[in-house]
Amino acid sequence: MALPRSIRRTSPITLILAAVLSFGFLVFLFAPSSNSGAVSTAKRKIANAAAHPLSPPTAPFVKPDASLNGLSKPPPVVHYHLNNVTTTADPIGNQETVLILTPLARFYQGYWNNLLALSYPHSLIALGFIIPKTKEGHTATAALQAAIATTQQGPEGKRFASVTILRQDFDPPISSQDESERHKKENQKARRAAMSRARNSLLFTTLGPSTSWVLWLDADIVETPPTLIQDLAFHDKPVLVPNCFQRFTNEENKPDTRPYDYNSWQDSQVAADMARDMGPEDIIFEGYADIATYRTLMAMTADRSETRNQQAIIPLDGVGGTALLVKAEVHRDGAMFPPFPFYHLIETEGFAKMARRLGWGCFGLPNYFVYHYNE
Amino acid sequence: MNRHNAYVNGQKGYSSRESGNLSISPHRFQPRSQPALRRRRQLLIRLGIAGCSSLLLMLIFFPSIRSTFLTVLTLGLMSSSDVEQLQLETVRYYDLSESGGTARGWEHEERVLMCAPLRDAESHLPMFFSHLHNFTYPHHLVDLAFLVSDSKDNTLQLLSQMLTDLQNDPDPKQPFGEISVIEKDFGQKVNQDVESRHGFAAQASRRKLMAQARNWLLSAALRPTHSWVYWRDADVETAPFTILEDLMRHNKDVIVPNVWRPLPDWLGGEQPYDLNSWQESETALALADTLDEDAVIVEGYAEYATWRPHLAYLRDPYGDPDMEMEIDGVGGVSILAKAKVFRSGVHFPAFSFEKHAETEGFGKMAKRMQFSVVGLPHYTVWHLYEPSVDDIRHMEEMEQERRNRENEEKERVERMKKIKEEFNDQGSQWEKDKNAIDGISQKEEQIRKEHDAAMAAQEEKGPAAQAGKETAEGAASKDSKDSKVAKDTKDAIDAKEGKGTKNAKNVKDTEDTANEKEVEEAEVVKDT
Repeated sequence: MALPRSIRRTSPITLILAAVLSFGFLVFLFAPSSNSGAVSTAKRKIANAAAHPLSPPTAPFVKPDASLNGLSKPPPVVHYHLNNVTTTADPIGNQETVLILTPLARFYQGYWNNLLALSYPHSLIALGFIIPKTKEGHTATAALQAAIATTQQGPEGKRFASVTILRQDFDPPISSQDESERHKKENQKARRAAMSRARNSLLFTTLGPSTSWVLWLDADIVETPPTLIQDLAFHDKPVLVPNCFQRFTNEENKPDTRPYDYNSWQDSQVAADMARDMGPEDIIFEGYADIATYRTLMAMTADRSETRNQQAIIPLDGVGGTALLVKAEVHRDGAMFPPFPFYHLIETEGFAKMARRLGWGCFGLPNYFVYHYNE
Repeated sequence: MNRHNAYVNGQKGYSSRESGNLSISPHRFQPRSQPALRRRRQLLIRLGIAGCSSLLLMLIFFPSIRSTFLTVLTLGLMSSSDVEQLQLETVRYYDLSESGGTARGWEHEERVLMCAPLRDAESHLPMFFSHLHNFTYPHHLVDLAFLVSDSKDNTLQLLSQMLTDLQNDPDPKQPFGEISVIEKDFGQKVNQDVESRHGFAAQASRRKLMAQARNWLLSAALRPTHSWVYWRDADVETAPFTILEDLMRHNKDVIVPNVWRPLPDWLGGEQPYDLNSWQESETALALADTLDEDAVIVEGYAEYATWRPHLAYLRDPYGDPDMEMEIDGVGGVSILAKAKVFRSGVHFPAFSFEKHAETEGFGKMAKRMQFSVVGLPHYTVWHLYEPSVDDIRHMEEMEQERRNRENEEKERVERMKKIKEEFNDQGSQWEKDKNAIDGISQKEEQIRKEHDAAMAAQEEKGPAAQAGKETAEGAASKDSKDSKVAKDTKDAIDAKEGKGTKNAKNVKDTEDTANEKEVEEAEVVKDT
């Protein structure tokens, strides 16, 4: 008979202490403040969730009740107030949703880890991927799905609002994803046309009615500042591109960085003259020695010193797509990635031109770096 | 109670030298049943039971606290949000090659996105919904998306009401798929865009604005599951119920029917409506080269004579409705396009794309990306006839004219009536006069006959008769037969005159007397 014994043996002080302790436990367990962050995130997630599977892919949806046997109610009438979708310099404060879009050919764990490290509230981030239906694509899909499963069942704060995986409905023009093959000039037009179509397919099927910002992030961007979205949105520009560099080991076996993306530039008179003399189907590509355009490349104007001004901003005529923050309204107005020569430009550079035709300005941050994977 | 027992079973924790004082045999140790202790234990158990049952009751009656207790009981491992999160799906996987679009989409459960931009369209909605009800394409495969922009009337309220009714229709075949109502005003932009001074220039910026609205609608509503996108204006009056299937059967990337509109009879009964579906012409291409970058060619204005073959003008009411025609610009009243066209990036340019904007630019861009763009010249949908300002003015004029004509008619009738009344009076008077004259002439006749008879006794009886007849003729001209007879008689007399001039004077005298008599009589008539 342990219980009566122990009770008998305890002194009043012990009892009081026990009472205080148990009261403390109860307070700890029941007090809503103890885990308010997670709970409010979860509540917001539920509030944002769509009631029916037929809903914009940028929000999660409530699974249909299996017991209804497919006899579900018809989808509800949903109103979307696009007047209230804002894009401001303070995206977190205004609860603005960001859609991160990635055309994926290979899955790099570095990319995913970097994505998870983003400090923007994940409940405001929707992800979209488009993957070609090739053998390599199947492998990438499997790896991606495994990573998604881990994240979406993991800690609440790290989960993304929704994830959409698309499989491309056309074959890529060249099967090899090798760096050297990919960058051959003869292959560029077909490759970038296919890339444009993939980007457009991804964009227009996932944009939905609630997205404020679209962040284009290539699958081989493995390092960005964790505050990437906030930092870029802070400038409040319609189209903004950071400088894309690559880390490598130089001849002296020391870690170094070099420019990677040459598609962000300011136009030159030479290039304009060149364009005038071209046929309607010709394209000016950047970064090839035999087409000297004398454009001002953002990659070349970077200041790599530690004391650099990361806020420095320059207007651009062409933008690269490795990392690119776009206000959703620019895309909604129709700015897309032309898969055909548009003013002798294609893909992201053509996009910049189209955005400017629609009256939106394009800008670059020469001293703000993101890093490309090095093969 | 022995306080020296260190162990529960009563064993000593240490060896005692004073063992004799203590009863140490284990079997003698009986924890005596203490009534106070037992009561306390029972009390505790009762309290516990009461607590549990009250908690249970609370959980039953106050569902809101369930989750809190559940969290506590499961030590937070399965939090409340998790319970609901289990029902939430965050990952979606789609294979776009499954939504490519085929000729018989309804057999493959292909989803169609139907887009309708609305602006002050309240009056058209009932008609639009009657079309929706009648669609033969399986409704659950059709997602509806509306963009309500800058509407000053009751469009939004009426739309949501009608959509809710549609989704709650007891007929399970009526409700449609996903329904999105997108509210977005572009109004401010219009004011910013006032580059226009006259209507023709305004046309370009108006088209750009409409293009923008279409793009916003599409970008918010297009899903990876859609195989087809159907654009439909709210003001279509008549269209075949099977239009989706009919257009789909052609299996083209972009396809449009011919759009006409009925007209009042005074305007010719019917008229081609949508002039934006056309084939490109050399003239127009040459014209495009001369224009500046932001210019937009719009059809139907004298400024741009393009000489393009228009789909609308090629219609033959008895032609084969399946006949196809390659076109370059498309009209926006009713467009069926494969979703992959829009997925590839084709949209409605809100800028001057190859000198065109909106739907025409859409056709141009689709062509640029090697998609097939086709029109059906003999398959017609009928746009609502809304009289234009000119028409309204014309109709007012016509109404005025009609009223004038009516008034004139009325006046004329009245005048005629009046005249008729007067005429009738005169007629009766005439009649009376005639009777009177007849009476007189009959009397005269009698007199004359007597006279004739008397004369007949003599050789020359004719002139008298003739004079009598002539008197009658002057009084009532309708006795022409008599007068003819009289004339004959006269002729005969004239012929005789040459024979006997001797009697001529005599005859004349008789005549004079007759004339005098007649004048007297006429005066009598006048007096009456």
